[in-house]
Amino acid sequence: MNDFVLVRKNLFRRKLRAVLMIASILVAFMIFGVLAAFYTAFTANEDRSAADRLVTVNKINFTQPLPIAYYNRVRAVQGVRQVTHANWFGGYYQDPKNVLIAMAVEPETYTEIFSRDFDFPAEMRQAFMRDRTGALVGEAMARKWGWKVGDHVPIQSNIFTQHSGSRTWDMTIVGIFKPQSGQQVDTNLMFFQYAYLDETRSFGKDTIGWLVLKTAAPSENDSVSKTVDAMFVNSIAETSTDTEKAFNKAFAAQFGNIALIVVLVVGAAFVTILMIVGNTMALTIRERTREIGVLKTLGFPGGRILRLVLGESVLLALLGGIPGLLLAWLITSTLRQSVANMLPGLTLTAVIVAEGLGLMLALGLITGIIPALNAMQLKIAAALGRG
Amino acid sequence: MRSLLLQVAAVTTINLKSISQRLWLSLSTVVAIALVVVVLLAFLAMANGFKRTIEGSGADDIGIVLRGGSQAEVNSTITREQVRLIEDGPGIARRADGKALVSAELYLVVDGIKRTTGTKANLPLRGIGEQGAALRKGITITAGRMFNRGSNEIVIGKGLAREFTGLEIGSAVGFGTTRWTVVGVFEADGSVFESEIWGDLPVVQSLFNRNNYFQTVRVRLASPAALDALKSYNDGDARLKLDVKSENAYFADQSSQTSDLIQKLGWPLAIAMAFGALAGALNTMYSSVAARATEIATLRAIGFGGFSAFVGTLAESLALAAIGGVLGAAATYLAFDGLTASTLGGNFTQVVFNFKLSPALIGEGVTLALIVGLIGGLFPALRAARMPIVAGLYA
Repeated sequence: MNDFVLVRKNLFRRKLRAVLMIASILVAFMIFGVLAAFYTAFTANEDRSAADRLVTVNKINFTQPLPIAYYNRVRAVQGVRQVTHANWFGGYYQDPKNVLIAMAVEPETYTEIFSRDFDFPAEMRQAFMRDRTGALVGEAMARKWGWKVGDHVPIQSNIFTQHSGSRTWDMTIVGIFKPQSGQQVDTNLMFFQYAYLDETRSFGKDTIGWLVLKTAAPSENDSVSKTVDAMFVNSIAETSTDTEKAFNKAFAAQFGNIALIVVLVVGAAFVTILMIVGNTMALTIRERTREIGVLKTLGFPGGRILRLVLGESVLLALLGGIPGLLLAWLITSTLRQSVANMLPGLTLTAVIVAEGLGLMLALGLITGIIPALNAMQLKIAAALGRG
Repeated sequence: MRSLLLQVAAVTTINLKSISQRLWLSLSTVVAIALVVVVLLAFLAMANGFKRTIEGSGADDIGIVLRGGSQAEVNSTITREQVRLIEDGPGIARRADGKALVSAELYLVVDGIKRTTGTKANLPLRGIGEQGAALRKGITITAGRMFNRGSNEIVIGKGLAREFTGLEIGSAVGFGTTRWTVVGVFEADGSVFESEIWGDLPVVQSLFNRNNYFQTVRVRLASPAALDALKSYNDGDARLKLDVKSENAYFADQSSQTSDLIQKLGWPLAIAMAFGALAGALNTMYSSVAARATEIATLRAIGFGGFSAFVGTLAESLALAAIGGVLGAAATYLAFDGLTASTLGGNFTQVVFNFKLSPALIGEGVTLALIVGLIGGLFPALRAARMPIVAGLYA
């Protein structure tokens, strides 16, 4: 009988207890994996935004409109390479619950600036610019609704109405785009021509939602944003220009302390489970004091007993932890599509897996070390005397 | 029968009194169960508080009119002509002079600075008409005064005054180029309106360049049943075709998504943690049975039945679980009840709400604790009942 068999037999001596402990560790590491993946995606989101992109919104709030005239005025600013604009449409398909992320954009410049994120082939861009009612649909959205190029789809808005009173815009899908290779971006969104919206809507004519600026270099960001905001001081619509990164970060912060509370509570849950398991583990070893005395009587050296006990607690941690991380991987893979709007790129990265494995080892060693040391130093007579 | 009861009572007493001999082990089980209950109740209290704030905002004798399909006030638009048509509609309560109790309102999103993080967040600025305050429950000015009609003054909901900076009475607030003075703080029965800024409708309309546009119309109904009359009037007029709902129904829709989400996080997490606590409970109870092996065997030898050993062990486990459950509920109450939080609500603006525990939620938490105690005690109790007397006496 080698040591591993001994360790295994020891661990599963009380089957129910072992299974429960493994289940608890599994849950703890599943929580850890999912939470860490969310956290990583959340922070990576900021890093991914292009360093040379600025967003100009109405200073009152980003939901307030800007005059379309700002588009041409901002183009002329020194250090601005390209400008485009977009307008939130509040789209839905058939039922108000089927929310569509739809934006009315300036076709040529938008597809140029966002070609960093999405793959817009030249023919697709041409078709989009040519067809006034044309729409570009992301591959995820097209898959969700079963749309193909050439389909005519009625898209409704929960904000706008047409002059006729109708709130349905008929659009033709002229292209289905994918993420640019190597980019983790969500494609559950669609774009259509601003001109189509502006000519038909019953109010809000000649206004846009926000501007996206591409600067000549990130070093120009500061001066460009100051110049742009200064241009519109004391006008009807003052502006606030920030890097895309800062803008996204501020938006995410709006969900506020709820996210923080969830992280704290879930973190507390993780620690609690580990505490329970650690305590149980320590007790399990204590229960076997007499047996360890017997092993010593048989001539097992202290070092080997130390290894046996530590091996048992590490094995327990790994048996629970590895499937836990696997489950976390399954969960994040399933959630990836549905949370992609808010949190693109949700994955269990290699770093998280490595951290998880490190934590498992730490858990096994910490919960095992005190009982193991005690067992190693145990005097045979004392051990056999104890119950 | 009576002797059986006496046996059970005696063994249960012995069990409970012996807990102090396994103090640390028992304590760790109690703490583990308490933590499970804290996690569950923290989530449930958050969902409950959010839901109460939103759903408590509606009344069933107030109708709310939105543009068809718009779902939230922020998306809706209503023209002056439509407002006039609604004012003439049936089912609306009227003043003695015949004027309809109706408030056409404008709902805009402006930036505020959160106290906790110092970051910008969306706040609702509502332009209300003459009757606006009267169409809501329990509006009282708690500090300062109401805004004057026709002036660029605003009053701040109590929740915002607490959570956002720069909104103190007397301070000047700029939204874009427009300047406003904060003149008062109002309370609104803990409803979502306490997360709003109110100003005079015509002033808001003109300073934000929205002349002749409204977003919602609130009406005081003659009775909750009068809603149907107003609905059919609306559906029958091609110029209207708006969505007419009771304020209750509107806010119920608004709260469901967020509070469902919070609950869906809380329960699985608590159940997952309960497995951990179960491992702890089983451990404690097996140790208890092992430690009392001689005692149980002795009792059996002098004629006590296996059933009393079973009940005694189970009672010990349930007692530990109950203490854990109550401790957990008390800890949640102390740490979380009344805690203020804010997040983005259905109107794309911040909703300030308080964590709120309720007796029903505490019941759910304690039940979960007792289930852990029951399962955690069951198997050890069976072992106690089946323990061979001879083996026990030699242990």
